[in-house]
Amino acid sequence: MRDLTVEFADRGLLALDGVDLEVDAGERVALLGPSGAGKSTLLRALLGAVPAVGTVRVGGRDPYGRSTREIRRNAGFLRQGDDLILGVSGRLNALMGTVAGWRLRDWCKVLSGRAPSGYADRFAELAARHGVVDCLSARASQLSGGQRQRVALIRALLPAPGLLLADEPTTGLDPVTSAEAVRALHEADATVIAATHDLTVAATFPRVVALREGRVVHDGPPIDETISAKIYQQEKV
Amino acid sequence: MLVWAVHGAGLSVGELVAGRDGARELLSGFLSPDLSGEFLATIGGAIVQTTQISLAGLLLAAIVGMPFAVLLARNVEAPAPVRGAVRLSAAFLRGVPDLLWALLFVAMIGPGPAAGALAVALHGAGMLAKLGAEQLEAVKPGPIEALRLVGANRTSVALLGVVPEARANLASLLLYQWECNVRTSTVLGFVGAGGIGQELAVSLTLFRYDELSTLVLAVLALILAVDLLSRLIRRRLGAVA
Repeated sequence: MRDLTVEFADRGLLALDGVDLEVDAGERVALLGPSGAGKSTLLRALLGAVPAVGTVRVGGRDPYGRSTREIRRNAGFLRQGDDLILGVSGRLNALMGTVAGWRLRDWCKVLSGRAPSGYADRFAELAARHGVVDCLSARASQLSGGQRQRVALIRALLPAPGLLLADEPTTGLDPVTSAEAVRALHEADATVIAATHDLTVAATFPRVVALREGRVVHDGPPIDETISAKIYQQEKV
Repeated sequence: MLVWAVHGAGLSVGELVAGRDGARELLSGFLSPDLSGEFLATIGGAIVQTTQISLAGLLLAAIVGMPFAVLLARNVEAPAPVRGAVRLSAAFLRGVPDLLWALLFVAMIGPGPAAGALAVALHGAGMLAKLGAEQLEAVKPGPIEALRLVGANRTSVALLGVVPEARANLASLLLYQWECNVRTSTVLGFVGAGGIGQELAVSLTLFRYDELSTLVLAVLALILAVDLLSRLIRRRLGAVA
């Protein structure tokens, strides 16, 4: 992205202010910053989901052009586990990312709780790896926070996305589930960009981009405590 | 303005005093309801028919109104021309009072419960479209955004996200609409659209206040029973609405 600016005029908020950022295919990047720094907005800009001025390209394609849906279908988006559809089963939630199109056969399979063709093996493997095989039949509303996050993780990973975006993926999780979520991000065969305000999570990434008030204030290896303290201290002022 | 309104409506103490004999007759009839087996059997049949009208009307209203609600809901993001057309149709359906729909259907297909069922169905469809859309729009935006951000199309977003999230409240809305249908169905009989209303109209025309008393009690019992049943189901569903 080049000189990317996102302004929410209705709220009088400049969320991103002339951001330049280049991420190579397969790279793993942590977006670090305090609340309101623009991390979530940057992730959404990559999927053409916020009004932006500037240039954004994802794999050479413009998410604000005709390629929006194509880019989104090749992306996994992971938020905190509370973004599941609570009225349906964990299994249906996990499979939702696989029915972006109109194939009636896929629809019927997913609605009956089975993975569409081409996804069955991967679904079984992910469910087993994340230890949710036994709880997938329960309604999402009956799952614990950790189980919901694991289901959300499977939903994001199942379509084998080339780009995996995670927005505060560890917020509200216990240390074990949190570590599991971070490990899954590192193991994913994709370009990973994870927004977090957690310094320890960011430190596990080889590259950290720190944002403050919509601007990039650090781009490089994990930042040391002096720099991070400065970022957060400035926020308090 | 109040005086003007009262005068225009023809409200006066004189009118009430003049009607005291009629009131006395009505009240004495009400105090001795007709509980003969034959009449109770007639009422039973009429109650069943009223329930059938209300349920058939609800089914048809749901078939039309629920898809309308989905297309109207802003978070489904249906194409603007489609949404506009649906909004106009829904406004027309609920804008025409159910009594007028009943008169139109009685004129078209003749008197009987079918006219009543179609009348409550069309008006109900308009109501369900509007109220259903409000329930759908009230769902948590986060899960819907998550679906949209992974390339889900409008159909996926609507059928896998928005509708399941609002399922309990939509079911509650259908139950509420059923209650309304029952109340409406008791009145539609006055214009020939079947059900217990038709019996009410006959007894009233023939000044059979003893029968009228039994019918009013039966209507009250029906409405209370439906209300209670609906509340029980809603509680079980854990719906907010």
